[in-house]
Amino acid sequence: MKLSNVIAGASAAIVAFQAAACVLKGETDLLRPPGAQSEEDFLSRCVKCGKCIEACPYRSLSPASQGAGVAVGTPCIDAREQACRLCEDFPCVAACPTGALRDVDGRRDVRMGIAVIDEELCIAFQGMRCEVCYRACPLIDEAIVIDYRMREGDAIHSVFAPAIVQDACVACGLCVERCVVGEPRTAIRIMCDAERARTANDGS
Amino acid sequence: MDITRRQFVKATAVALASAAAAGTLSSLVGCASGSAQGGAQAEGQKFTAVCRFCGCGCGVICEVRDNKLISVTGDPDNESNRGLNCVKGYYLGKILYGDDRLTVPLIRDDASTKGTAEGLREATWDEALELVSAKLKETWKADKSRLAFWLSGQQPITEGYACAKFIKAGLLSNNVDPNARLCMASAVVSFMNVFQTDEPAGSYADLDEADVFVTWGANMAEAHPMLYSRLTARKLSGEGVRHYDLGTITTRTSASADKTLIFKPNTDLAIANCIANHLVQNKLYDEAFVNDHLQFKQGAENIGNATMDDYEQTEAGKTAENVSAITFEEYAERLSPYTFEYVSELSGVPAEDLRELAEVFADPDAKVMSLWTMGVNQHNRGTWMNHNIYNIHLLSGKIARPGCGPFSLTGQPTACGTAREVGTFCHRLPADLLVANEQHRRFTEAVWDLPEGHLDAIKAPGMHTVKMFREMSKGNIDFLWSAHNNWAQSMPNLTRFLGMGDENRGIFDTFIVVNEVYPTLSTQYADVVLPVALWVEREGQFGNAERRTAVFEKAVDPPGEAKWDLWAFMEVARRVLDGEKIGDKDAFDHLFGFIYDKDAADFKGDDRETNRALWEEYRVFSNPSLNEQAQAINESAKLKMEAKQLAPYDEYLTHHGLTWPVREVDGTWMSTKWRFADGAQADGFDEVGVATYGTPGLAGGVSFYKSTDMRPSVVFRPYEPPAEEPDEEYPFYFVTGRLLEHWHTGTLTRRVPELDRALPEALLNVSPEDCEKLGVLDGDMVRVRSRFGQFDIKVSTAGRTEPPAGVVFAPFFAEEALVNLAVQDTYCPLSKEPDYKKTCVSIEKI
Repeated sequence: MKLSNVIAGASAAIVAFQAAACVLKGETDLLRPPGAQSEEDFLSRCVKCGKCIEACPYRSLSPASQGAGVAVGTPCIDAREQACRLCEDFPCVAACPTGALRDVDGRRDVRMGIAVIDEELCIAFQGMRCEVCYRACPLIDEAIVIDYRMREGDAIHSVFAPAIVQDACVACGLCVERCVVGEPRTAIRIMCDAERARTANDGS
Repeated sequence: MDITRRQFVKATAVALASAAAAGTLSSLVGCASGSAQGGAQAEGQKFTAVCRFCGCGCGVICEVRDNKLISVTGDPDNESNRGLNCVKGYYLGKILYGDDRLTVPLIRDDASTKGTAEGLREATWDEALELVSAKLKETWKADKSRLAFWLSGQQPITEGYACAKFIKAGLLSNNVDPNARLCMASAVVSFMNVFQTDEPAGSYADLDEADVFVTWGANMAEAHPMLYSRLTARKLSGEGVRHYDLGTITTRTSASADKTLIFKPNTDLAIANCIANHLVQNKLYDEAFVNDHLQFKQGAENIGNATMDDYEQTEAGKTAENVSAITFEEYAERLSPYTFEYVSELSGVPAEDLRELAEVFADPDAKVMSLWTMGVNQHNRGTWMNHNIYNIHLLSGKIARPGCGPFSLTGQPTACGTAREVGTFCHRLPADLLVANEQHRRFTEAVWDLPEGHLDAIKAPGMHTVKMFREMSKGNIDFLWSAHNNWAQSMPNLTRFLGMGDENRGIFDTFIVVNEVYPTLSTQYADVVLPVALWVEREGQFGNAERRTAVFEKAVDPPGEAKWDLWAFMEVARRVLDGEKIGDKDAFDHLFGFIYDKDAADFKGDDRETNRALWEEYRVFSNPSLNEQAQAINESAKLKMEAKQLAPYDEYLTHHGLTWPVREVDGTWMSTKWRFADGAQADGFDEVGVATYGTPGLAGGVSFYKSTDMRPSVVFRPYEPPAEEPDEEYPFYFVTGRLLEHWHTGTLTRRVPELDRALPEALLNVSPEDCEKLGVLDGDMVRVRSRFGQFDIKVSTAGRTEPPAGVVFAPFFAEEALVNLAVQDTYCPLSKEPDYKKTCVSIEKI
């Protein structure tokens, strides 16, 4: 995987991924609710009781479909449809009877994955003033920041490029839900924890 | 007719636009409307246009195939935006294609259904127009003080011009005001008080050259996205360029500012005065500039608040506009209490920050640009605050020079072009002229070929907006016609104006006509809804914040039976004026016979020809030499009408917009970027204006030739508190405003799926500290109550907009969270513009 756009001077590593990285790797890459640990840990504990799904006030959670193999019926999030809203009191975690969802005291404890931006599709990178993902982000200026740069070949306009801060993004997916680009796919997507772990193991 | 127009268009501007835009369009396709996309298909026909939304006035190119917009992209040849747009502009084309476009006239037979989404039935145009005309004529003949027209800073220039002519010269009524009263009136009155001419001396080009930017009560990052891109580019590319953001809440503009100064509401008045005080007491002002150019005044003080209906009859109300001359020494004396220490205590801004800002203005080499919008204008002392910003720019000589200047941003696409330049206000005639001024009436009569004295019937100004709606609520308006606005969502104090209480239910008895493109809250109160052409469904013109006039060409036909607004106005005008005379001539034909054939019930020419004909008549106001009698009055009364000179219509098409005064030099029409600044016209300076009326060689190379005695006025304006201040019952200030994704009341942007998805709901931003105090969490529903009304809304603690403790914010785009139910209708006593930023409220979890 090619990382680009590391902003000098930022305290955390800020990354954006090229377009090629933004293709879904497979249906097993499910975005899990807050408090899920590794995919392995989560699958070993989740009993598919549906209590977290019932507890979610935003109806962000739904059971994984048949295509998910062993994970069928486990809770997952379709961020484009309805992202996790990071409730301050995390009713989904509180409802989990088995500890499949656990250890969330605050929003910043959540680790569902990471958002990645497709610079080819993102209209902010073309110089349009969009940055919808940035303004929607519940951790604005922490998880998504703006990299202000001059627009190439233009002395009087700047580019407000959104950039993801790796250590701060909790992957709630609100940026994906709100992204104005839909075709051929959203300009920002969530790389869920399982995929992230796998791509890291790939050594790319 | 259509074919002729298309051929004409093809032969002229479009070819130009296509050639210029080649190579940049394909990558920027915004309006992706389905199957028509794709490289394999032939290119569509292209038309130049201007964005429908804010006052930035970004140019766009519309591409059309089979009478449908297939793309809207930035116009690289428009100097205001050079091919870029914000996300609203990117999806602009989709505003035409919402599912619920109004395509048939609608009539409400049963007034008891008002205020609901029910009760409107389909009608023919003939039935609707007959009904509207009969009601208008009945009211006009019975008591024309009970008529009201509410127009808009979104109404194209020629349409506003024709409406003003119909209402002022035809109906002899001044009961017309635009929604610009809600956004630009404080700026206008201040421009007139200080400079005796409306609109700024500088231009957007200042953004490219300033060393320091100061935003005052302006969330420019969201409300003026492309101008903020330009400001940011200057910060990135210029060495040591700084930005100070002043406001009562922390916004996205604060997020990228170098320093944010959060002040307590209304203390902006004191902050500007402490800067002026620093300049004056320490002799850090520009002495030559002061000596050459300025006069000093003070005005009525302790002017109270226009909260009650009888304010204008009170002593304070009657004298609020009074000013008197003072000396520079007296001005200095008035400023002297405004020390950094005093103002710091008053405002909550650290004294060292105030000093740092004051030093910016004291630096003779720093090019400083102030930018402001609604935080300054929607202010119970809005006119005063505009004055106070001009005061510090005038004292420091930082005005009318590249990179230097106080710049009043506008909120609507043609608040300047139509509401202000045409003058669809209750006290105005076209081109800055006033109904109350005899010479102005004579001049207007000359241009409109009216008998001398014809306009004396309208020498008393009519009702300003808030008065109009207050009178309607009391049952004193029988007929209201609105176009290009959504008053039932955008007016303050809607609890009163929508008749939701036991009293003030006049709205249910007023016959209301609404020109609209989609169902809105306003159409829910309409007796007749006229379905009209939207944006490029006819040709029109917008005038943006930098005095730039630009044409948008007709690109597609309106849907169904929807018609050009102007046609509906003409059809009603011909019916109402039937049998009326001006002199010994048929009134309608005398006013509009040059564009309209009343027997054919249609325009004589196509859209282009109609617009050109109206423009060429309107242009006489600023080119009086085209009319012998007008020229004689211009000279004898020293009106200096050429100060706002406009060019022939087709020049605007050729140039993709021009910035007035537009001067003809050696056969070429040239824009003016820096008004009153001496220098070559070709470089954007006001060479012709200064040579014609001004004095070259004065300090700063500037000559304020439109000002009385050629001297703008520094008017001392003190700090006075907000109309209401938090107390135990209403402990919070409520601020309302605009966010990037949605424009005004959301009528258009909420029908664009991408924009609706991007920001689907309006939220109330509350500080974490206040949330704790109130026992509310992010996502909780609360009821917000004021002395005026209440609304329910969801709380957000997300950091996009961060009010300090004691202040809360919500945008006004969402009709389901109708914030204006609770907003005060208290207005600035000078400009009559309401204060939307400081209503005191309580908040309770529900």
